[in-house]
Amino acid sequence: MKKRMLVLEDGNVFKGFGFGAEKETIGEVVFNTGMTGYQESITDQSYNGQLLTFTYPLVGNAGINRDDYESIFPTTKAVIVKEFARRPSNWRSRMNLDEFLTEKDIPGLTGVDTRRLTRVIREHGAMKAILTDFTEETDALIDRLKSVTLPTDQVAQVSTERPYVSPQNGRRVIVIDFGLKHSILHELNKRGCHVTVLPHDTKVDTILNLKPDGVMLTNGPGDPKDLPYAHDMIRELQKHVPIFGICLGHQLIALANGADTFKMTFGHRGFNHPVREIATGRIDFTSQNHGYAVSEESVDNNELRITHIEINDGTVEGLRHRRYPVFSVQYHPDAAPGPHDAADLFDQFIEEMDAWKVEETNA
Amino acid sequence: MENKTVVEVVNEAAIKRALTRITYEIIEKNKGIEKLVLAGIRTRGIILAQRIADRILELEGESVEVIELDTSLYRDDREDDASAAQVSAGHVQDVAGKKVVIIDDVLYTGRTIRAALDAIIDRGRPEKIYLAVLIDRGNRELPIRADFVGKNLPTSREESVQVYLNETDGKEHVDIIKPS
Repeated sequence: MKKRMLVLEDGNVFKGFGFGAEKETIGEVVFNTGMTGYQESITDQSYNGQLLTFTYPLVGNAGINRDDYESIFPTTKAVIVKEFARRPSNWRSRMNLDEFLTEKDIPGLTGVDTRRLTRVIREHGAMKAILTDFTEETDALIDRLKSVTLPTDQVAQVSTERPYVSPQNGRRVIVIDFGLKHSILHELNKRGCHVTVLPHDTKVDTILNLKPDGVMLTNGPGDPKDLPYAHDMIRELQKHVPIFGICLGHQLIALANGADTFKMTFGHRGFNHPVREIATGRIDFTSQNHGYAVSEESVDNNELRITHIEINDGTVEGLRHRRYPVFSVQYHPDAAPGPHDAADLFDQFIEEMDAWKVEETNA
Repeated sequence: MENKTVVEVVNEAAIKRALTRITYEIIEKNKGIEKLVLAGIRTRGIILAQRIADRILELEGESVEVIELDTSLYRDDREDDASAAQVSAGHVQDVAGKKVVIIDDVLYTGRTIRAALDAIIDRGRPEKIYLAVLIDRGNRELPIRADFVGKNLPTSREESVQVYLNETDGKEHVDIIKPS
């Protein structure tokens, strides 16, 4: 194996060995604390432009299967592990992690102390990093890193270019694709929803002309403030139809209603984040993947209500509009990967759509 | 026992979600919880009212008053022994100027609600009366409509709807019972 190394913007160097695709890459280095679900995570478009570190020491035991893709063309920049399993063992496995990364043109780094890397990120925040072949000239690399500006059009990179339909015989749901995970479609289809997926920059009129029962705003990569057109779209759309937002969709709903978002130091990426629903006191263990969050003080109590909070650090995890049937969560009820505690939010979405329809008929 | 088909139509999680949504809607429609009084009808309505009050306490940090309504005295379709009927809302005499939310498990003919309206108005003139129900099963005989509905369940008169709650039944779901 070829020697490869990871150089962080702050000068930390992690030396290891390369696997997967052979190429140099620059991006934001983040960590995921999940013990399983590497296939779903690597193919999750929310990791677009990021170098994904797994804190769990051995990754790839169950190989890569046909079923657990969250996108067809993953855009994660790199995968960093302590050790990867060369010989996976699982009845569903089709290939090992190395073959998969090579096929998807994603470089990997193995043999590094991911615990130390995680500690550095926790202390200094998620930062730019370069994954490259071994060289002694780290100073030049650091200078290069500092001059690089990471792209801000990530959603445009991962969103679908054309609309498509995932048919069922049921309620008409429109999904706005900001970096859609397949499991969201799966959960909606499972509940009989006829899903139409539209690109991220679709206009309000186009959406309303399709006469949907409800609109779902998906997860996605990057800073929600880079999408001002989506804020305007939501501000108008919410007057006409129930909306359910997940992850980036949640942040966009917040921004559209006057709240603010901020970049977290190292974000929430993992599958064991406890979240409390304020109304009932119920705790769900949730799957999360976000580097930005809605700032609690900025939430205008005349427009939005905070419905869920994270137990560990108190971040806003759920919102609900005061006047319209609009609600959102920062975590992933689709749970791919992760615990299924929160899956009933999709049922809630169905119920909100039904309740809204009855109200429309009676009004 | 005659043959019947029992279908579970609402499960425990769905009851929980419906009550949470109704709670949000009550607060928003009423623009806060000022002057709010929750009036639960008989057994299960009282339990539901208490659960909604608990949610309001969590959300708004303030408790709202829950009163119990016994409508049997005001029914127009029962020949009950009048001495058995007690007006149990004795501890809250005055609803004048309040915004009362009547809460019941199932809305059917509307006769219970009419009786509840009488029971409330006998105690004063509320500023406003709302109606929240867990299940609206249709088949109204009176011009009554709920402001907050957990779930609409279109049913026929031959069917019956049974709500089970943990506090009274040790289980929590809603069944439709069809004669077959």
